[in-house]
Amino acid sequence: MNPAIALSRGLQAEVYKFRRTFLFWFLILAPGFVPAINLIIFLRRGHQIVEAGTNAWPHLLQMSIEPGNMLFPFFVMIVALFVNSIETTSNTWKLIYTQPLSRLTVYLSKVLVFILMLFVSLSLFGIFSIGVGWLVGIFMPDLGFDQAFKTQQFFLAPTRIYLMTLGYASLQFLISQQSKNLILPLGIGIGGLISFLILVQGWEYVEYHPYGFQFLGIGDYADLDASFWAQSKFMIRSLGLALVTFSVGAWLMWRKRIV
Amino acid sequence: MKIPDTIIAVRNLDFYFKDFKALDQMNLNVPTGSIYGFLGPNGAGKTTTIRVLLDLFHAKQGEVEIFGQSIRQHRHDILSRIGALIEAPSIYKHLSGRQNLEVLRRMLGLPKQRIDEVLEIVRLRENADKKAKEYSLGMCQRLTLAAALLNDPELLILDEPTNGLDPSGIIEMRELILRLNQEHGKTIFLSSHILSEIEKLVSHVAIIDRGKILYEGTLAGLQQQSNQNITVVVKHPDQAMPLLSEHNYQLLEQTATGFVVQVNTEEEIAELNRLLVMNNHEVYQLSPAEQGLESIFLNVTQKLDA
Repeated sequence: MNPAIALSRGLQAEVYKFRRTFLFWFLILAPGFVPAINLIIFLRRGHQIVEAGTNAWPHLLQMSIEPGNMLFPFFVMIVALFVNSIETTSNTWKLIYTQPLSRLTVYLSKVLVFILMLFVSLSLFGIFSIGVGWLVGIFMPDLGFDQAFKTQQFFLAPTRIYLMTLGYASLQFLISQQSKNLILPLGIGIGGLISFLILVQGWEYVEYHPYGFQFLGIGDYADLDASFWAQSKFMIRSLGLALVTFSVGAWLMWRKRIV
Repeated sequence: MKIPDTIIAVRNLDFYFKDFKALDQMNLNVPTGSIYGFLGPNGAGKTTTIRVLLDLFHAKQGEVEIFGQSIRQHRHDILSRIGALIEAPSIYKHLSGRQNLEVLRRMLGLPKQRIDEVLEIVRLRENADKKAKEYSLGMCQRLTLAAALLNDPELLILDEPTNGLDPSGIIEMRELILRLNQEHGKTIFLSSHILSEIEKLVSHVAIIDRGKILYEGTLAGLQQQSNQNITVVVKHPDQAMPLLSEHNYQLLEQTATGFVVQVNTEEEIAELNRLLVMNNHEVYQLSPAEQGLESIFLNVTQKLDA
């Protein structure tokens, strides 16, 4: 069979099975968490945050990206877990691997749906954040959301976070795929994150810690003229790690005994 | 494509879990069009064999050919002509029965109406839009069978399909399997440890124990081969049984009125009778034992122990 047709079939099936799941609603609602809080803060205390006559958008950008960047690793861990645990809890690994698609196709379908889910959620995060600015601008026209701003920054910063995330996202995916235990992948993920937060205080090689790429590489996202590729070494390391880890995962699934 | 007379051919298959040899020089020949019973106690190697047949486990030694092709080299072609049900049902509980089939239909690239066709075959159409978590175990098994039938396979591999079902569920599943074989022309490879189930369904049988095939052939052949046991009815079986055991007779089972003894020749029957009479036992009856598959199975596996 044509590999493109096979992959398209695998993807269609993979997307379909998540309808009406916790994960489906989580992907839509979780990106709205930080924007919803920001909406309340701006509506209640907007004038205390933004000086009169200044542009409110940079404030919103900062109040969106920083907590978003901090919470995103937890989001990645949960998505990686549920994308895989849906098969473990349904006892369906053996079902999908006895269909006439190659093991690589079935594996790739899952990987692609996983990284697509992360991207879609980050895009929704950008849309919701801009939506907050527009909404506040309607209800509080004097707050400064009417001023000009490069709102694409609400997408560019999350895209950079996304690229710097794929490294540890691939690790979480691999651990979740190989483990039947639902708690273990979360434990390893949180452990990885905490170890970075400890090591960042003085370890000379901390910039190679995969759970910290998006913290170290986010840079001055408020500088609207800064290049998308500033601090690209973290993106490259993250993408390199993702390539290696997803390849190892493919090799493990190719030879795995499916039970 | 022409289907060979032997739909599954396994040659000298070994399979290890680390140092444990789970399958030992296994040979199987499943005739096309048959209902082939794969019989053995729990842990004998039935599910391991099925997983190797479906390429879920990769064996390092031996050959597995299905439809005359090697499973390792023609995985895609072979799996597109097989439907499988392996142990516990594989079902997404948050989806309805129909949606479960839709997931697989998308993987297989089949037309939508095929879902209704297979729901009809397994008689699940009325409950197709209920969530699978509301299904009984019997309905779950039928849904898994519907999933196995989606691609209209020539060969169905069913691993313990009646496991955990209540009596009516067992009867339904048995009728369904017979219908699939007789009306839809499917070859069915059926594993079970519920011996009476196999007896009522199969045309051919293989008996596996501890990874070894102890018998393979027709059901009638198995019964003929093992039809040398006799039922002994005496006044005091509790005294007669130890006497026979002391003289190396193999006692197979105790019945309501007597007990069953394994004999190899007619002379042995006369000798057994003489022994009982000489020891003052009143012998009421010596008759050929009617063997169910269960006792044949015990007989065959005990021969291995001896």
